[in-house]
Amino acid sequence: MRSTVVTARLGRVLGILFGICFVTGLLSHYQYSPWSWLPQPASPVWGYRLSQGLHVATGTASIPLLLVKLWSVYPNLFRWPPARSVKHALERASVAILVASALVQVFTGFFNVLNWYPWPWDFVSVHRFLGYVLIGSILLHVAVKLPDIKYGLQSKVADGDVLTEIPWSENPQAHSNAGPLPPPPTPALSRRGLLTATGAGIGVVVVTSVGQTLRPLEPLGLLAIRQPKKGPQGVPVNRTAAQAKIPGAAVGATWVLRVVGPAPYSLTLADIEAMAMHEERFPINCVEGWSAGAQWRGLRLLDVVTRAGGSADSRVRVVSLERKGTFKSSIVEGPQVSAALLATHINGERLNLDHGYPLRLIAPNRAGVFNTKWLTRIEVT
Amino acid sequence: MMRLRLPLGIAGVLLVLFGLFRLLTQVPIFPLVILALWLVGALVIHDGILSPIVVAVGWAIARVVPPRARRYLQGALIMAALVTVIAIPMIYRQGSQPKSKSILLQNYGGNLTLLLGLIAALTLLAYAVRVARDHGVGDHPDQRPGAANTPHPDGGSSTA
Repeated sequence: MRSTVVTARLGRVLGILFGICFVTGLLSHYQYSPWSWLPQPASPVWGYRLSQGLHVATGTASIPLLLVKLWSVYPNLFRWPPARSVKHALERASVAILVASALVQVFTGFFNVLNWYPWPWDFVSVHRFLGYVLIGSILLHVAVKLPDIKYGLQSKVADGDVLTEIPWSENPQAHSNAGPLPPPPTPALSRRGLLTATGAGIGVVVVTSVGQTLRPLEPLGLLAIRQPKKGPQGVPVNRTAAQAKIPGAAVGATWVLRVVGPAPYSLTLADIEAMAMHEERFPINCVEGWSAGAQWRGLRLLDVVTRAGGSADSRVRVVSLERKGTFKSSIVEGPQVSAALLATHINGERLNLDHGYPLRLIAPNRAGVFNTKWLTRIEVT
Repeated sequence: MMRLRLPLGIAGVLLVLFGLFRLLTQVPIFPLVILALWLVGALVIHDGILSPIVVAVGWAIARVVPPRARRYLQGALIMAALVTVIAIPMIYRQGSQPKSKSILLQNYGGNLTLLLGLIAALTLLAYAVRVARDHGVGDHPDQRPGAANTPHPDGGSSTA
Protein backbone atom coordinates (compact mmCIF):
# COMPACT_ATOMS: atom_id res chain seq x y z
CA MET A 1 0.00 0.00 0.00
CA ARG A 2 2.86 2.38 0.76
CA SER A 3 3.80 4.58 -2.15
CA THR A 4 4.94 8.08 -2.98
CA VAL A 5 1.52 8.43 -4.61
CA VAL A 6 -0.26 7.75 -1.31
CA THR A 7 2.13 9.84 0.81
CA ALA A 8 1.88 12.83 -1.53
CA ARG A 9 -1.92 12.75 -1.38
CA LEU A 10 -1.99 12.43 2.41
CA GLY A 11 0.67 15.14 2.69
CA ARG A 12 -1.24 17.54 0.47
CA VAL A 13 -4.29 17.45 2.74
CA LEU A 14 -2.19 17.53 5.92
CA GLY A 15 -0.25 20.51 4.59
CA ILE A 16 -3.51 22.36 3.89
CA LEU A 17 -4.82 21.55 7.41
CA PHE A 18 -1.59 22.73 9.05
CA GLY A 19 -1.66 25.85 6.87
CA ILE A 20 -5.21 26.66 8.05
CA CYS A 21 -4.13 25.98 11.65
CA PHE A 22 -1.16 28.33 11.32
CA VAL A 23 -3.12 31.21 9.78
CA THR A 24 -6.08 30.91 12.18
CA GLY A 25 -3.57 30.54 15.01
CA LEU A 26 -1.99 33.86 14.05
CA LEU A 27 -5.48 35.43 13.91
CA SER A 28 -6.11 34.14 17.41
CA HIS A 29 -2.75 35.47 18.58
CA TYR A 30 -3.85 38.83 17.19
CA GLN A 31 -6.78 38.73 19.62
CA TYR A 32 -4.23 38.51 22.43
CA SER A 33 -1.89 41.26 21.23
CA PRO A 34 -3.14 43.47 18.40
CA TRP A 35 -1.02 46.29 17.02
CA SER A 36 -2.14 49.60 18.47
CA TRP A 37 -2.60 51.14 15.02
CA LEU A 38 -4.83 48.26 13.85
CA PRO A 39 -7.25 47.32 16.64
CA GLN A 40 -9.38 44.18 16.40
CA PRO A 41 -12.36 44.88 14.10
CA ALA A 42 -15.90 44.40 15.45
CA SER A 43 -17.15 42.81 12.25
CA PRO A 44 -17.92 40.32 10.99
CA VAL A 45 -19.65 39.36 14.22
CA TRP A 46 -18.86 35.69 13.50
CA GLY A 47 -15.21 36.30 12.59
CA TYR A 48 -13.51 34.68 15.56
CA ARG A 49 -16.24 32.05 15.80
CA LEU A 50 -15.31 30.87 12.30
CA SER A 51 -11.53 31.22 12.56
CA GLN A 52 -11.13 29.55 15.93
CA GLY A 53 -13.72 26.89 15.16
CA LEU A 54 -11.65 26.09 12.06
CA HIS A 55 -8.44 26.12 14.08
CA VAL A 56 -9.64 23.51 16.55
CA ALA A 57 -11.55 21.42 13.98
CA THR A 58 -8.61 21.24 11.53
CA GLY A 59 -6.17 20.66 14.38
CA THR A 60 -8.28 17.76 15.67
CA ALA A 61 -8.65 16.29 12.16
CA SER A 62 -4.90 16.55 11.63
CA ILE A 63 -4.15 14.17 14.52
CA PRO A 64 -5.38 10.99 12.79
CA LEU A 65 -4.18 12.24 9.41
CA LEU A 66 -0.68 12.91 10.75
CA LEU A 67 -0.51 9.36 12.13
CA VAL A 68 -1.49 7.85 8.75
CA LYS A 69 0.96 10.13 6.92
CA LEU A 70 3.79 9.03 9.22
CA TRP A 71 2.74 5.39 8.80
CA SER A 72 3.03 5.80 5.04
CA VAL A 73 6.74 6.71 5.28
CA TYR A 74 7.69 4.61 8.30
CA PRO A 75 10.11 2.30 6.33
CA ASN A 76 12.18 5.40 5.48
CA LEU A 77 13.28 5.46 9.11
CA PHE A 78 15.31 2.30 8.50
CA ARG A 79 17.06 3.34 5.31
CA TRP A 80 20.66 2.20 5.22
CA PRO A 81 23.10 3.89 5.44
CA PRO A 82 21.32 6.37 7.74
CA ALA A 83 22.84 9.26 5.84
CA ARG A 84 24.46 9.26 2.42
CA SER A 85 25.95 12.73 2.73
CA VAL A 86 26.07 15.75 5.01
CA LYS A 87 23.16 17.20 3.05
CA HIS A 88 21.15 14.03 3.57
CA ALA A 89 21.98 13.98 7.29
CA LEU A 90 20.72 17.57 7.57
CA GLU A 91 17.54 16.65 5.73
CA ARG A 92 16.88 13.77 8.12
CA ALA A 93 17.51 16.04 11.09
CA SER A 94 14.97 18.51 9.71
CA VAL A 95 12.45 15.68 9.32
CA ALA A 96 13.05 14.73 12.96
CA ILE A 97 12.27 18.33 13.97
CA LEU A 98 9.17 18.28 11.75
CA VAL A 99 7.81 15.01 13.16
CA ALA A 100 8.57 15.84 16.81
CA SER A 101 7.12 19.36 16.63
CA ALA A 102 4.05 18.17 14.69
CA LEU A 103 3.26 15.40 17.20
CA VAL A 104 3.78 17.63 20.24
CA GLN A 105 1.90 20.54 18.65
CA VAL A 106 -1.27 18.62 17.74
CA PHE A 107 -1.42 16.58 20.93
CA THR A 108 -0.76 19.47 23.35
CA GLY A 109 -3.28 21.55 21.39
CA PHE A 110 -5.85 18.79 21.81
CA PHE A 111 -5.05 18.40 25.52
CA ASN A 112 -5.53 22.15 25.96
CA VAL A 113 -9.04 21.83 24.51
CA LEU A 114 -9.61 19.09 27.10
CA ASN A 115 -8.46 21.50 29.86
CA TRP A 116 -5.59 19.14 30.57
CA TYR A 117 -2.11 20.53 31.19
CA PRO A 118 0.29 17.75 32.21
CA TRP A 119 3.33 19.98 31.49
CA PRO A 120 5.12 22.84 33.27
CA TRP A 121 5.28 25.37 30.41
CA ASP A 122 2.93 28.20 29.47
CA PHE A 123 0.68 26.67 26.80
CA VAL A 124 -0.16 29.79 24.79
CA SER A 125 3.39 31.00 24.10
CA VAL A 126 4.91 27.55 23.54
CA HIS A 127 2.04 26.61 21.19
CA ARG A 128 2.78 29.76 19.18
CA PHE A 129 6.57 29.37 19.04
CA LEU A 130 6.27 25.68 18.20
CA GLY A 131 3.84 26.70 15.45
CA TYR A 132 6.63 28.71 13.78
CA VAL A 133 9.00 25.75 14.07
CA LEU A 134 6.37 23.40 12.64
CA ILE A 135 5.27 25.53 9.69
CA GLY A 136 8.93 26.36 8.90
CA SER A 137 9.96 22.71 8.87
CA ILE A 138 6.95 21.92 6.65
CA LEU A 139 8.07 24.57 4.13
CA LEU A 140 11.60 23.15 4.21
CA HIS A 141 10.25 19.60 3.83
CA VAL A 142 8.13 20.62 0.83
CA ALA A 143 11.15 22.35 -0.74
CA VAL A 144 13.32 19.24 -0.28
CA LYS A 145 10.65 16.79 -1.45
CA LEU A 146 9.17 18.86 -4.29
CA PRO A 147 10.24 16.43 -7.08
CA ASP A 148 8.71 13.48 -5.17
CA ILE A 149 5.56 15.48 -4.40
CA LYS A 150 5.23 16.39 -8.06
CA TYR A 151 5.71 12.77 -9.11
CA GLY A 152 3.32 11.52 -6.43
CA LEU A 153 0.52 13.91 -7.30
CA GLN A 154 0.87 13.49 -11.06
CA SER A 155 0.81 9.67 -11.02
CA LYS A 156 -2.41 7.69 -10.80
CA VAL A 157 -3.02 6.07 -7.42
CA ALA A 158 -2.77 2.53 -8.81
CA ASP A 159 0.30 3.15 -11.01
CA GLY A 160 2.67 4.94 -8.66
CA ASP A 161 5.86 3.28 -7.53
CA VAL A 162 6.00 1.24 -4.39
CA LEU A 163 7.93 2.98 -1.64
CA THR A 164 11.26 1.21 -1.26
CA GLU A 165 14.44 2.05 0.51
CA ILE A 166 15.71 3.41 -2.83
CA PRO A 167 14.25 6.77 -3.91
CA TRP A 168 12.02 6.25 -6.95
CA SER A 169 14.25 8.41 -9.14
CA GLU A 170 17.22 6.08 -8.53
CA ASN A 171 15.27 2.84 -8.67
CA PRO A 172 15.56 1.14 -12.09
CA GLN A 173 12.56 -1.08 -11.28
CA ALA A 174 10.27 1.85 -10.59
CA HIS A 175 7.34 1.98 -13.00
CA SER A 176 8.21 5.50 -13.99
CA ASN A 177 11.73 4.44 -14.92
CA ALA A 178 10.93 1.02 -16.36
CA GLY A 179 8.07 2.29 -18.53
CA PRO A 180 4.35 1.68 -17.99
CA LEU A 181 3.82 -1.67 -16.27
CA PRO A 182 0.57 -3.38 -15.42
CA PRO A 183 -0.14 -2.81 -11.73
CA PRO A 184 0.57 -5.92 -9.63
CA PRO A 185 -2.53 -7.79 -8.39
CA THR A 186 -3.87 -6.57 -5.09
CA PRO A 187 -3.74 -9.15 -2.30
CA ALA A 188 -5.49 -6.96 0.26
CA LEU A 189 -6.58 -3.37 0.80
CA SER A 190 -5.76 -1.23 -2.22
CA ARG A 191 -4.17 2.19 -2.04
CA ARG A 192 -7.48 3.76 -2.93
CA GLY A 193 -9.06 1.66 -0.20
CA LEU A 194 -6.50 2.97 2.27
CA LEU A 195 -7.18 6.59 1.30
CA THR A 196 -10.94 5.98 1.50
CA ALA A 197 -10.74 4.35 4.95
CA THR A 198 -8.53 7.20 6.19
CA GLY A 199 -10.95 9.78 4.85
CA ALA A 200 -13.91 7.95 6.38
CA GLY A 201 -12.24 7.66 9.80
CA ILE A 202 -11.33 11.35 9.84
CA GLY A 203 -14.81 12.19 8.54
CA VAL A 204 -16.35 10.40 11.52
CA VAL A 205 -14.07 12.36 13.88
CA VAL A 206 -14.97 15.70 12.29
CA VAL A 207 -18.73 15.11 12.02
CA THR A 208 -19.00 13.89 15.62
CA SER A 209 -16.87 16.69 17.10
CA VAL A 210 -17.63 19.99 15.32
CA GLY A 211 -21.12 20.14 16.82
CA GLN A 212 -19.55 22.17 19.63
CA THR A 213 -19.36 25.14 17.28
CA LEU A 214 -21.49 24.14 14.25
CA ARG A 215 -24.89 23.93 15.89
CA PRO A 216 -26.74 21.86 13.24
CA LEU A 217 -24.28 19.01 13.98
CA GLU A 218 -24.68 19.24 17.77
CA PRO A 219 -27.05 16.21 17.92
CA LEU A 220 -24.37 14.05 16.25
CA GLY A 221 -21.71 15.19 18.72
CA LEU A 222 -20.72 11.79 20.12
CA LEU A 223 -17.13 13.02 20.35
CA ALA A 224 -17.93 16.70 20.98
CA ILE A 225 -15.95 17.99 23.93
CA ARG A 226 -18.42 20.76 24.74
CA GLN A 227 -22.17 20.65 24.44
CA PRO A 228 -23.20 24.32 24.35
CA LYS A 229 -26.89 23.52 24.95
CA LYS A 230 -26.10 21.90 28.28
CA GLY A 231 -24.42 25.06 29.61
CA PRO A 232 -26.20 27.14 32.25
CA GLN A 233 -28.61 29.60 30.56
CA GLY A 234 -27.82 27.88 27.25
CA VAL A 235 -24.16 28.88 27.12
CA PRO A 236 -21.11 27.04 28.51
CA VAL A 237 -18.82 28.69 31.04
CA ASN A 238 -15.05 28.55 30.67
CA ARG A 239 -14.03 29.86 34.06
CA THR A 240 -16.45 29.46 36.93
CA ALA A 241 -16.86 31.98 39.76
CA ALA A 242 -15.35 29.40 42.09
CA GLN A 243 -12.29 28.96 39.84
CA ALA A 244 -11.91 32.77 39.65
CA LYS A 245 -12.34 32.99 43.46
CA ILE A 246 -15.08 35.62 43.28
CA PRO A 247 -16.24 36.27 46.86
CA GLY A 248 -20.03 36.20 47.12
CA ALA A 249 -20.10 39.38 49.24
CA ALA A 250 -18.34 41.39 46.51
CA VAL A 251 -21.30 41.04 44.16
CA GLY A 252 -23.95 41.77 46.82
CA ALA A 253 -25.97 44.91 47.49
CA THR A 254 -22.85 47.01 48.07
CA TRP A 255 -21.53 46.38 44.55
CA VAL A 256 -20.98 49.50 42.42
CA LEU A 257 -19.42 50.02 39.02
CA ARG A 258 -16.76 52.72 39.15
CA VAL A 259 -16.10 54.53 35.87
CA VAL A 260 -12.69 56.22 35.83
CA GLY A 261 -11.91 58.92 33.25
CA PRO A 262 -11.95 62.70 32.68
CA ALA A 263 -15.36 62.79 34.43
CA PRO A 264 -15.41 59.87 36.87
CA TYR A 265 -18.66 58.54 38.36
CA SER A 266 -20.20 55.42 39.88
CA LEU A 267 -23.25 53.35 39.02
CA THR A 268 -25.19 51.21 41.49
CA LEU A 269 -26.86 47.94 40.59
CA ALA A 270 -30.21 49.75 40.49
CA ASP A 271 -28.82 52.43 38.10
CA ILE A 272 -27.48 49.76 35.82
CA GLU A 273 -30.66 47.69 35.76
CA ALA A 274 -32.66 50.82 34.90
CA MET A 275 -30.28 51.56 32.01
CA ALA A 276 -29.97 48.00 30.65
CA MET A 277 -32.33 48.36 27.70
CA HIS A 278 -30.12 47.54 24.77
CA GLU A 279 -30.28 44.11 23.11
CA GLU A 280 -27.75 42.42 20.82
CA ARG A 281 -27.28 38.94 19.42
CA PHE A 282 -23.58 38.03 19.67
CA PRO A 283 -21.94 34.61 19.73
CA ILE A 284 -19.47 33.88 22.48
CA ASN A 285 -16.46 32.20 20.87
CA CYS A 286 -13.96 30.34 22.97
CA VAL A 287 -10.31 29.95 22.08
CA GLU A 288 -10.93 26.24 22.79
CA GLY A 289 -13.05 25.96 19.68
CA TRP A 290 -16.61 25.96 20.96
CA SER A 291 -19.04 28.78 20.38
CA ALA A 292 -22.65 29.59 21.18
CA GLY A 293 -24.91 32.35 19.96
CA ALA A 294 -26.86 34.20 22.66
CA GLN A 295 -29.23 37.11 23.10
CA TRP A 296 -27.62 39.69 25.39
CA ARG A 297 -29.20 42.70 27.14
CA GLY A 298 -27.35 45.53 28.84
CA LEU A 299 -25.85 48.98 28.48
CA ARG A 300 -23.88 50.17 25.51
CA LEU A 301 -20.22 50.50 26.54
CA LEU A 302 -20.01 53.66 24.40
CA ASP A 303 -22.78 55.38 26.45
CA VAL A 304 -20.88 54.66 29.69
CA VAL A 305 -17.59 55.85 28.16
CA THR A 306 -19.10 59.05 26.73
CA ARG A 307 -20.61 59.99 30.08
CA ALA A 308 -17.12 59.69 31.63
CA GLY A 309 -15.78 62.19 29.09
CA GLY A 310 -14.49 59.65 26.56
CA SER A 311 -15.51 58.91 22.98
CA ALA A 312 -15.59 56.11 20.39
CA ASP A 313 -11.83 56.66 19.96
CA SER A 314 -11.08 56.05 23.65
CA ARG A 315 -8.96 53.14 24.84
CA VAL A 316 -11.04 51.41 27.53
CA ARG A 317 -9.85 48.95 30.16
CA VAL A 318 -12.53 46.81 31.80
CA VAL A 319 -11.50 45.39 35.18
CA SER A 320 -12.91 42.31 36.93
CA LEU A 321 -13.35 41.55 40.61
CA GLU A 322 -11.02 38.65 39.92
CA ARG A 323 -7.79 39.23 41.85
CA LYS A 324 -5.42 36.91 39.97
CA GLY A 325 -5.14 35.49 36.49
CA THR A 326 -4.26 36.63 32.99
CA PHE A 327 -7.81 37.63 32.18
CA LYS A 328 -8.75 39.77 35.18
CA SER A 329 -8.94 42.78 32.84
CA SER A 330 -9.00 43.43 29.11
CA ILE A 331 -8.65 46.31 26.67
CA VAL A 332 -11.45 47.46 24.37
CA GLU A 333 -10.37 49.80 21.61
CA GLY A 334 -11.16 50.78 18.04
CA PRO A 335 -14.43 49.62 16.48
CA GLN A 336 -15.23 47.32 19.44
CA VAL A 337 -15.78 50.32 21.78
CA SER A 338 -18.89 51.27 19.80
CA ALA A 339 -20.07 47.67 19.35
CA ALA A 340 -19.58 46.29 22.87
CA LEU A 341 -22.26 45.75 25.48
CA LEU A 342 -22.02 45.72 29.27
CA ALA A 343 -24.42 42.84 29.73
CA THR A 344 -26.78 42.15 32.62
CA HIS A 345 -28.97 39.54 30.89
CA ILE A 346 -28.36 36.47 28.75
CA ASN A 347 -31.11 34.73 26.75
CA GLY A 348 -33.76 36.72 28.69
CA GLU A 349 -32.45 35.77 32.15
CA ARG A 350 -30.36 37.67 34.66
CA LEU A 351 -26.71 36.59 34.25
CA ASN A 352 -25.87 33.91 36.80
CA LEU A 353 -22.70 34.13 38.86
CA ASP A 354 -20.69 31.80 36.60
CA HIS A 355 -21.62 33.94 33.58
CA GLY A 356 -20.30 37.09 35.29
CA TYR A 357 -23.09 38.50 37.50
CA PRO A 358 -23.67 41.36 38.06
CA LEU A 359 -22.09 42.77 34.89
CA ARG A 360 -19.88 41.48 32.09
CA LEU A 361 -18.46 42.65 28.79
CA ILE A 362 -19.64 41.09 25.52
CA ALA A 363 -18.39 42.23 22.12
CA PRO A 364 -18.55 40.80 18.60
CA ASN A 365 -15.56 39.07 16.94
CA ARG A 366 -13.80 38.87 20.31
CA ALA A 367 -12.16 35.84 21.92
CA GLY A 368 -14.30 34.57 24.82
CA VAL A 369 -11.61 35.09 27.46
CA PHE A 370 -11.53 38.82 26.73
CA ASN A 371 -15.25 39.23 27.42
CA THR A 372 -14.35 40.08 31.01
CA LYS A 373 -16.80 38.96 33.74
CA TRP A 374 -17.67 40.30 37.23
CA LEU A 375 -16.84 43.89 36.23
CA THR A 376 -16.01 46.38 38.97
CA ARG A 377 -14.27 49.22 37.13
CA ILE A 378 -14.16 50.83 33.69
CA GLU A 379 -11.07 52.92 32.91
CA VAL A 380 -11.38 55.41 30.05
CA THR A 381 -8.22 56.94 28.55
CA MET B 1 11.63 23.86 -10.01
CA MET B 2 14.71 25.30 -8.22
CA ARG B 3 13.10 28.70 -8.51
CA LEU B 4 10.38 27.57 -6.13
CA ARG B 5 12.43 25.24 -3.93
CA LEU B 6 15.11 27.69 -2.88
CA PRO B 7 12.85 30.47 -1.52
CA LEU B 8 10.58 27.87 0.10
CA GLY B 9 13.54 26.25 1.82
CA ILE B 10 15.02 29.56 2.98
CA ALA B 11 11.66 30.76 4.32
CA GLY B 12 11.28 27.43 6.12
CA VAL B 13 14.72 27.57 7.74
CA LEU B 14 14.17 31.18 8.84
CA LEU B 15 10.79 30.33 10.41
CA VAL B 16 12.28 27.32 12.24
CA LEU B 17 15.16 29.47 13.55
CA PHE B 18 12.74 32.22 14.61
CA GLY B 19 10.57 29.73 16.50
CA LEU B 20 13.57 28.09 18.18
CA PHE B 21 15.01 31.51 19.09
CA ARG B 22 11.70 32.55 20.70
CA LEU B 23 11.48 29.24 22.58
CA LEU B 24 15.05 29.49 23.87
CA THR B 25 14.75 33.13 24.91
CA GLN B 26 11.16 33.24 26.24
CA VAL B 27 10.71 29.91 28.01
CA PRO B 28 12.44 29.40 31.38
CA ILE B 29 15.05 26.67 31.54
CA PHE B 30 13.09 24.04 33.49
CA PRO B 31 9.99 24.00 31.27
CA LEU B 32 12.31 24.16 28.25
CA VAL B 33 14.09 20.97 29.30
CA ILE B 34 10.74 19.23 29.84
CA LEU B 35 9.58 20.44 26.41
CA ALA B 36 12.73 18.96 24.86
CA LEU B 37 11.96 15.68 26.63
CA TRP B 38 8.40 15.77 25.23
CA LEU B 39 9.73 16.32 21.69
CA VAL B 40 12.18 13.42 21.95
CA GLY B 41 9.57 11.34 23.78
CA ALA B 42 7.05 11.90 20.96
CA LEU B 43 9.54 10.47 18.44
CA VAL B 44 10.39 7.52 20.70
CA ILE B 45 6.74 6.68 21.48
CA HIS B 46 5.63 7.04 17.86
CA ASP B 47 8.56 5.37 16.09
CA GLY B 48 9.52 2.91 18.81
CA ILE B 49 6.18 1.76 20.22
CA LEU B 50 3.10 2.83 18.23
CA SER B 51 4.37 2.15 14.71
CA PRO B 52 5.86 -1.31 15.49
CA ILE B 53 2.52 -2.32 17.03
CA VAL B 54 0.68 -1.21 13.86
CA VAL B 55 3.19 -3.08 11.68
CA ALA B 56 2.88 -6.20 13.84
CA VAL B 57 -0.93 -6.14 13.66
CA GLY B 58 -0.76 -5.73 9.87
CA TRP B 59 1.67 -8.60 9.61
CA ALA B 60 -0.47 -10.87 11.79
CA ILE B 61 -3.61 -10.09 9.79
CA ALA B 62 -1.81 -10.82 6.53
CA ARG B 63 -0.86 -14.26 7.81
CA VAL B 64 -4.21 -15.25 9.25
CA VAL B 65 -6.95 -13.61 7.20
CA PRO B 66 -7.57 -14.50 3.51
CA PRO B 67 -7.23 -11.57 1.04
CA ARG B 68 -10.92 -10.89 0.35
CA ALA B 69 -11.84 -10.60 4.04
CA ARG B 70 -8.53 -8.91 4.85
CA ARG B 71 -9.37 -5.97 2.62
CA TYR B 72 -12.46 -5.18 4.69
CA LEU B 73 -10.82 -5.90 8.02
CA GLN B 74 -7.94 -3.55 7.23
CA GLY B 75 -10.32 -0.77 6.18
CA ALA B 76 -12.41 -1.20 9.33
CA LEU B 77 -9.32 -1.27 11.56
CA ILE B 78 -7.96 1.93 10.01
CA MET B 79 -11.26 3.77 10.63
CA ALA B 80 -11.57 2.34 14.13
CA ALA B 81 -8.00 3.28 15.07
CA LEU B 82 -8.38 6.87 13.88
CA VAL B 83 -11.58 7.39 15.85
CA THR B 84 -10.13 5.67 18.94
CA VAL B 85 -7.03 7.89 19.01
CA ILE B 86 -9.27 10.95 19.42
CA ALA B 87 -11.66 9.30 21.89
CA ILE B 88 -9.11 7.92 24.36
CA PRO B 89 -8.00 11.28 25.84
CA MET B 90 -11.70 12.24 26.17
CA ILE B 91 -12.46 9.02 28.05
CA TYR B 92 -9.53 9.75 30.34
CA ARG B 93 -10.69 13.34 30.98
CA GLN B 94 -14.48 12.87 31.12
CA GLY B 95 -16.12 14.34 34.20
CA SER B 96 -12.93 16.13 35.30
CA GLN B 97 -14.33 19.68 35.14
CA PRO B 98 -17.09 21.64 36.93
CA LYS B 99 -20.51 20.96 35.43
CA SER B 100 -21.30 24.55 34.42
CA LYS B 101 -18.39 24.49 31.98
CA SER B 102 -20.48 22.00 30.01
CA ILE B 103 -17.27 20.24 29.01
CA LEU B 104 -16.60 16.47 28.83
CA LEU B 105 -20.04 15.61 30.21
CA GLN B 106 -20.64 12.64 27.93
CA ASN B 107 -19.94 8.95 28.42
CA TYR B 108 -17.21 8.83 25.78
CA GLY B 109 -16.47 5.15 26.38
CA GLY B 110 -20.06 4.31 25.49
CA ASN B 111 -20.02 6.69 22.52
CA LEU B 112 -16.79 5.16 21.22
CA THR B 113 -18.28 1.66 21.53
CA LEU B 114 -21.30 2.87 19.55
CA LEU B 115 -19.10 4.32 16.77
CA LEU B 116 -16.91 1.21 16.62
CA GLY B 117 -20.05 -0.96 16.49
CA LEU B 118 -21.34 1.17 13.62
CA ILE B 119 -18.04 0.83 11.73
CA ALA B 120 -18.06 -2.94 12.32
CA ALA B 121 -21.69 -3.29 11.21
CA LEU B 122 -21.20 -1.27 8.00
CA THR B 123 -18.01 -3.17 7.17
CA LEU B 124 -19.72 -6.53 7.71
CA LEU B 125 -22.58 -5.38 5.49
CA ALA B 126 -20.17 -4.31 2.73
CA TYR B 127 -18.31 -7.62 3.07
CA ALA B 128 -21.55 -9.61 2.90
CA VAL B 129 -22.56 -7.76 -0.28
CA ARG B 130 -19.13 -8.53 -1.75
CA VAL B 131 -19.41 -12.24 -0.94
CA ALA B 132 -22.95 -12.42 -2.35
CA ARG B 133 -21.84 -10.69 -5.55
CA ASP B 134 -18.84 -12.99 -5.94
CA HIS B 135 -21.20 -15.97 -5.68
CA GLY B 136 -23.48 -14.33 -8.22
CA VAL B 137 -20.72 -14.12 -10.82
CA GLY B 138 -19.47 -17.59 -9.99
CA ASP B 139 -20.20 -18.77 -13.57
CA HIS B 140 -17.66 -16.31 -14.95
CA PRO B 141 -14.40 -16.98 -13.12
CA ASP B 142 -12.58 -14.28 -15.10
CA GLN B 143 -14.79 -11.63 -13.44
CA ARG B 144 -13.74 -12.68 -9.99
CA PRO B 145 -11.66 -10.14 -8.12
CA GLY B 146 -8.19 -11.40 -7.47
CA ALA B 147 -8.01 -13.26 -10.78
CA ALA B 148 -4.54 -12.91 -12.25
CA ASN B 149 -3.78 -9.49 -13.73
CA THR B 150 -7.34 -8.28 -13.39
CA PRO B 151 -7.40 -4.88 -11.71
CA HIS B 152 -9.75 -4.95 -8.78
CA PRO B 153 -12.75 -2.63 -9.00
CA ASP B 154 -11.38 -0.89 -5.90
CA GLY B 155 -8.72 0.14 -8.30
CA GLY B 156 -5.39 -0.35 -6.68
CA SER B 157 -2.19 -2.21 -6.74
CA SER B 158 -0.44 -3.14 -3.60
CA THR B 159 2.53 -4.99 -2.37
CA ALA B 160 3.08 -3.58 1.08
